[in-house]
Amino acid sequence: MYQSLLTRRYLFSKIMPWLATIAVALCSFLTLTSWSVMGGFLNVFLQIGRKLEGDVSITWPTVGFGRYDELIARLEKDPAVEAAAPMIRGFGMISLPDDRAFGVTVQGIDERFAKVSGYADALHWRPLEEPVKKDVNQEDPRLDAEWPRRMERDLRAAKEQGGRPVDPPPLGSFRTWEQMYADGLSLSVRNPRTGVAEPAAVPGIELAGIAQRQAGGWYRAPALIGTRRSDGQDRWSSGFLPSRSVVINMLPVDASGRSLTTTSIRLPVANEFRAGFFEVDKNNVFIPLATMQKLLKMEAGERIEPGSDDPFAIDPLTGEPPKPKVIADVPAKVTTVLVKARAGVSAEELRERCLAVYQQFAADFDGQVPSFQQMVQGRNISTWERNFAMFIGQVKRETVTVLMLLTIISGVCSILILTIFWSMVSEKTKDIGILRSVGCSSLGVAWLWLRYGLVIGVCGAGLGLLMSCLLVWNINEVHDWLGRTLDITVWSPETYYLPDIPSTVEFSKAAIVGGAALGFSVLGALIPAVRAARMDPVRALRFE
Amino acid sequence: MNATATISATQPVLRAANVCKTYRMGRVEVPVLRGVSIEVAEGEWVAILGASGSGKSTLMHILGGLDRPDRGGSGGSSGGVAPSVWFRDRELTGMTEGEIDRYRNESVGFVFQFYHLLPELTVVENVLLPTMRKFGKLGFLRRRGELMQQAGTLLESFGLGHRLRHRPSELSGGERQRTAIARALINNPPVLLADEPTGNLDHKTGATILDAIAGTRSGAKPGQSGRPRTVVMVTHDLEVAARADRVVTLVDGVVTGESAGREVGAA
Ligand SMILES: Nc1ncnc2c1ncn2[C@@H]1O[C@H](COP(=O)(O)OP(=O)(O)OP(=O)(O)O)[C@@H](O)[C@H]1O
Ligand SMILES: [Mg+2]
Repeated sequence: MYQSLLTRRYLFSKIMPWLATIAVALCSFLTLTSWSVMGGFLNVFLQIGRKLEGDVSITWPTVGFGRYDELIARLEKDPAVEAAAPMIRGFGMISLPDDRAFGVTVQGIDERFAKVSGYADALHWRPLEEPVKKDVNQEDPRLDAEWPRRMERDLRAAKEQGGRPVDPPPLGSFRTWEQMYADGLSLSVRNPRTGVAEPAAVPGIELAGIAQRQAGGWYRAPALIGTRRSDGQDRWSSGFLPSRSVVINMLPVDASGRSLTTTSIRLPVANEFRAGFFEVDKNNVFIPLATMQKLLKMEAGERIEPGSDDPFAIDPLTGEPPKPKVIADVPAKVTTVLVKARAGVSAEELRERCLAVYQQFAADFDGQVPSFQQMVQGRNISTWERNFAMFIGQVKRETVTVLMLLTIISGVCSILILTIFWSMVSEKTKDIGILRSVGCSSLGVAWLWLRYGLVIGVCGAGLGLLMSCLLVWNINEVHDWLGRTLDITVWSPETYYLPDIPSTVEFSKAAIVGGAALGFSVLGALIPAVRAARMDPVRALRFE
Repeated sequence: MNATATISATQPVLRAANVCKTYRMGRVEVPVLRGVSIEVAEGEWVAILGASGSGKSTLMHILGGLDRPDRGGSGGSSGGVAPSVWFRDRELTGMTEGEIDRYRNESVGFVFQFYHLLPELTVVENVLLPTMRKFGKLGFLRRRGELMQQAGTLLESFGLGHRLRHRPSELSGGERQRTAIARALINNPPVLLADEPTGNLDHKTGATILDAIAGTRSGAKPGQSGRPRTVVMVTHDLEVAARADRVVTLVDGVVTGESAGREVGAA
């Protein structure tokens, strides 16, 4: 009884316990806030990073493997598999309308890709009903259905602009937003002259760097970009990439990995994609799978008998050089099959299933596809997390670094609490003697101080967690307010490529931080409590 | 006060035999009590008289179970007799920690020279402190009204009825000491141990404190049993000692003489 009474009185008659409470509160606030934001960061990165990936990939790089439709059919029979899709991933070069050329990862995909990934969501140019969250002035061109037509009309009208010659856009290059979205999905653009759908490319929106990302999270396309012709003349033309075309150059290799001659193709740009993660949006371009197979000479073909080495041989039946003899059909090849897990199946579980399916597949097509042994050796059947382990690891390490720093701060805080308690107990030494003289036990006196620490811990941790939740839940509003009133921008969307600061607090994290704060407070109180309990009552009474 | 002899004849309520206490300061041993033997009869008022540093407080702390005597009877004047402290028929030196705590809580009440009130508690809370310890949280809350009233009556009898909700810092020295006496008496212990209760007060206020102590002996306080309360009072003031039935003189940790209170006062 006297413990609760004294705890209450000590709390309300001294400044020290308030300082201790504030210290505990600030520490738990700091830790939970940064952990939540950093952890949220990692989660968002994971979501964005995997947007254009399957859960598990089966890869035989560069050379590729055949019979993939059979493999996909078998995979999709497995209850753990939601869908599977073929893909060719290769390294190539892209030439842009302004004559710049970059090395890029070229990915050949077909309509099945959208079933295993978030490709459909990633297509950027599409009709938009609602402005994106930070586009307060509604400047996003996608909100305006008339925007493409107006651009085309203006460009066509302007033979010259600001004293510079302007090239009119090709026929039909500006399409409606709806059409651009559909074209992006099918990776094709209708030829306005023939009406035939022609293969088209979908580069990442940061690849060309022509469309400018705005702080609000949307993109502005410049009306004109300049090109210097070989005759030394500057020409100006549309700066909206989906109204232009790009050239894709690939370097095919033969079955043994030796390079053949380079191949190239000019493709109209159907759309641009935005995964939301700079590295992905900068270095990738999608083209149709069939086009990719042609470029890399991975389409279906025939294997022919090696001819005789007589350069002048004549077929006696036809009287012409002999036709090569077909000895086998060569199936079309891909480098990768992406697999998506059904809901509730983890990537690791899915990988186990894929291994089993592939093992059977490799046994049935022995000699025609990479053996199971080869696949396992090269870790070629792996989850998305494993493929991106480097990157994920970096973000995780960063989180751990920050947490470690915070743990040190918390450690300092607990020493602070200890100091505060120590001085409070010292100050109250005489009280301990008095309590002992009226018969209070040493354990009872120890409990008084432990209880004191517990109350400070509970109040401090509760206050800290509450403040942290309030801040994190409203962190974007607070940040916007700081930007508006004080012109402070800590979180630059251009740098982080995330329009919003992560703003969720996980219950488990709050529980851990709260528990730790409480633990540190009790620990801080424990030592003085033990000291109080062991104190000689006579000495305590004589204490000045 | 011829009763002294007859009271002494009854069974002693407190008895100390050959009590020694030595403090160790580094390598030097400071003997404070060197074989003190004393008996206090039921209902008696004993004053322990001695110069400053003679070990009076130390002896009182040992009698009240706040301190423990040395184990062996080391080189005292009455070597040979095993050192022991008795309360009625129980030996303090053989009690467990819990029993000693209980003894301090229920059987004795301390009054100190410097009042030793808890500054954060009000007057009435200070007085109720021993009852909180005695009954525990639930027991105290159940008896709360009754105990509050008891404390109120006690404080009123000391003229502090209007000071219940005041903090000790708002009281005068005499009022603080009366509060401390009320705290010592709230559990109605058979023994009151007072260490220079008037030492910090002027002559007149000291006299009222002594009157208050005298009043607690026979006065019918609420819940008090029939027997008069025993008082052991430490002082270096002859005039104060004269109020007691019997005066024990302590010089350098040894009892050197005993006399009736009247004789001391006359001297
Ligand atoms: N913890 C300690 N360590 C060393 N010596 C001590 C300690 N406590 C008390 N003493 C010594 O014991 C002796 C007796 O102390 P005590 O307080 O019993 O004296 P006292 O008779 O009550 O004196 P006063 O009248 O001044 O209160 C003193 O000389 C004191 O210095
Ligand atoms: Mg003293």
